[in-house]
Amino acid sequence: MEGTAVAVFEILRYLIIHWRCETGISRGALLEGQLVISIEALHSKHEANTLHCVTTIASVGSFYGGLVLKKFIKEIQSILPGFSAKLSWTLEEGSYSQDMSVVTPFQIIFEIDENPRTLMTDCLVIKHFLRKITMVHPKIRFNFSLKVNGILSKEFFGIENEPTLNLSNGIALVINSQHYVSRPKFGTTESCCSRIHPVLGHPITLSIPDDVVGMDLLGELILTPAAALCPTPKVFSSQLNRISSVSIFLYGPLGLPLILSSREQPVTPVFKDTSYFIDLEKYCLHMVPNLDLNLDRGVHTLLTTHLSAILTESHSVVQDSIQFTVDQVLEQHHQAAKAHQKLQASLTVAVNSIMSVVTGSTCSSFRTMCLQALQAADTQEFGTKLHKVFHEITQHRFLHHCSCEVKQQLTPEKKDSAQSTEDARENSNPVLLAETSGPAENKRPMRGRLRQGEKTRTLRYAGAPSPSEAAPRRPEPTAACLTPSGGEARATHGTAPAPGVSPGSGLEDALWLQEVSNLSEWLSPSPEP
Amino acid sequence: MAFAPMGPEASFFEVLDRHRASLLAELRRAGGEPPGGGTRLASSSEVLASIENIIQDIITSLARNEAPAFTIDDRSSWENIKFEDSVGLQMVSHCTTRKIKSDSPKSVQKFALILKILSMIYKLVQSNTYATKRDIYYTDSQLFGNQTIVDNIISDISCMLKVPRRSLHILSTSKGLIAGNLRYIEEDGTKVNCTGRATAVAVPSNIQGIRNLITDAKFVLIVEKDATFQRLLDDNFCNKMSPCIMVTGKGVPDLNTRLLVKRLWATFHTPVFTLVDADPHGIEIMCIYKYGSMSMSFEAHNLTVPAVRWLGLLPSDLKRLNIPKDSLIPLTTRDQMKLDSILKRPYVTCQPFWRKEMEIMADSKMKAEIQALTFLSSDYLSRVYLPNKLRFGGWI
Repeated sequence: MEGTAVAVFEILRYLIIHWRCETGISRGALLEGQLVISIEALHSKHEANTLHCVTTIASVGSFYGGLVLKKFIKEIQSILPGFSAKLSWTLEEGSYSQDMSVVTPFQIIFEIDENPRTLMTDCLVIKHFLRKITMVHPKIRFNFSLKVNGILSKEFFGIENEPTLNLSNGIALVINSQHYVSRPKFGTTESCCSRIHPVLGHPITLSIPDDVVGMDLLGELILTPAAALCPTPKVFSSQLNRISSVSIFLYGPLGLPLILSSREQPVTPVFKDTSYFIDLEKYCLHMVPNLDLNLDRGVHTLLTTHLSAILTESHSVVQDSIQFTVDQVLEQHHQAAKAHQKLQASLTVAVNSIMSVVTGSTCSSFRTMCLQALQAADTQEFGTKLHKVFHEITQHRFLHHCSCEVKQQLTPEKKDSAQSTEDARENSNPVLLAETSGPAENKRPMRGRLRQGEKTRTLRYAGAPSPSEAAPRRPEPTAACLTPSGGEARATHGTAPAPGVSPGSGLEDALWLQEVSNLSEWLSPSPEP
Repeated sequence: MAFAPMGPEASFFEVLDRHRASLLAELRRAGGEPPGGGTRLASSSEVLASIENIIQDIITSLARNEAPAFTIDDRSSWENIKFEDSVGLQMVSHCTTRKIKSDSPKSVQKFALILKILSMIYKLVQSNTYATKRDIYYTDSQLFGNQTIVDNIISDISCMLKVPRRSLHILSTSKGLIAGNLRYIEEDGTKVNCTGRATAVAVPSNIQGIRNLITDAKFVLIVEKDATFQRLLDDNFCNKMSPCIMVTGKGVPDLNTRLLVKRLWATFHTPVFTLVDADPHGIEIMCIYKYGSMSMSFEAHNLTVPAVRWLGLLPSDLKRLNIPKDSLIPLTTRDQMKLDSILKRPYVTCQPFWRKEMEIMADSKMKAEIQALTFLSSDYLSRVYLPNKLRFGGWI
């Protein structure tokens, strides 16, 4: 059992649990604070190829609630019984006070000898763990530093004012896509925005198997799935034919990552094979789950130990809930991809039809005008340019606008206010602007105009649409009623509090949901007269 | 010129002749009909030029980085329809329009299909060939989806270019039939004689192309249903009532059948009567012949025959002839709604007798098919009912 990583896990878990439970932080509020984790490693004087690592975990600035040293050490030792005797604990009380309400900084130091390779792996694991914590505790920031033989490296986890999606019970999900992909899978130009847009599934109650009940695991467990594509693609093209990986993040009731131990618990199909819960083949997708057990190890809790059994016991409801959530995410894009294909096919038909008339015309002035308008030297170039300009003009209208862009575009700009407003409405709800009635004054009288040689314009073009055609739709949120889970695994008697969705970044959610609620209408047949 | 003189004596048609005279007088008072009955075909070069103009506008729009769109008169809104007693339903001069945009998910496909069909029309006109709407659909049935889409786009193009469909070199397959005292020569030179035949002749697909129309019919009888039409054929009605012409559109008439009736009226001013079921559907079919339809209102002058008169089956006939109740059918909810809709239409206002008959139907909540007359005798329709109606002016 590796020492540093596991010790860091358990200490951080203890701190966060203590933080939350002892300080009575209200639901909906977020834990806030900053912790420093620093590891200083020097070559051991006693063993070859070994580093003597001193790990310090300290608070920066304010930290609410006081730690009772004896209780802390006792509980940590009970959690980490396998630690070697070389571990030692120091708690510098600083301005420690018996009064729990007084702001108290703290510092925990322990030492361990590890070989360099293990240390490096441990660091990766710790950073992975910290990243996962900050996903659901956006106001906790970590400064992680590693100093090996005088060479220092630092990394910060958690950014101020992170955009989040509030779940419940104080759990907030950061939606900056950088948390979920280390490197963009697509070119930056193809990404819609820097955020993910999770779709929340319906919370489901998990049954606890009989053989698990009574092993200090009681109460009610509720699973709330959330799914998102990361990064949010900009253009629904062939990108959706390929998804590089599926990442599954599991969190316990207090928002702590559930870490699986590949050593202490064999990997069951539940976690190894995503098709156990998710049918992706109906979207013609085949992928490999990204459950990197090398980075998920060490700490196990009661919940984690029996997680597989619990999920298996409730397989059908878990599957239904997760599938529903995944369907919400993928179906939208699947339908949008189909709409995009429809657009491409339609543009090809339009271009070919125009080319047919232009190339077949015997009127030289007409042909010349067409070529000159697009600055084409010949009909071949004309065709290429025609396709390109059609594509450019129509493409942006069919781009998937996420709620972030919609919010920006709804702000009127300093130009013709009516035009800008209509444009903004168009951008937010392009689907509403097709085949609408225009005012009579836009129509020119057409009778008697068909005389040879007369240039008769039979087209009117889409100017500013009338207000009636650009009215935005009311958002219809699809977020499930989220029931906070019962307490942490160790809290054996938990009851579900009243359900509710925290407001938090409600505007973004509403705008996102508004956008996708229109998606089905994009693809419905046009009404015939 | 006489045709198969098997009909009644001349005095039989006195009332009909007076009716025709009154119709002509009315026509003269109204200033007469436009030459050719309002039919004006655009020349091929005009059609080609107008299509090129459309393409040119699209390209100009694209060059300005604007998404092109078609603006089409909304043929489905009553707001765009006005009623004139002499014409029927027609589109108002400044009507609301629909935009078919190229940059909207909902309409981009239709935008492309309009262009597709425009390019096909362009080729047809250039090569002076013709195709039916069905032919066009089958050039790429997967692309078009269904026939109705093609039909509607063709009507939209006809409305947009303000030319009849015939000028677009698109024909429609006729489903109507003709029988009786009529002969003509089709565009390809085929001579057609509808007289004295046991079977009916199909309405030609190129009405404008017909020449040398010859008839001395005293009346034209439009029969709603094919079954009734065949029954009258079997009863040798055209010979017994000679000289006359019978036409059926087999239900809702297609464009060619309407064009033929219009052509007969415009050419000969022969009185036109309808024989429809005493139900809302039959009345609506009759109104299409007389006043036109909303969807084709842009071509009303070529299609409507406001001089049409309702010969039978009148709701008042049912009571007059003591048709038993078990030969009648209760109006369905849909019938009621259609009847209410017809009663609200602008043209019913100037037809008090029609309104009265519809009110009789609404009050009794019953309808009847023409076949109800077989209660009286199997040939009552051709032997008694129609001859009496025609002889004594039993039309409204």
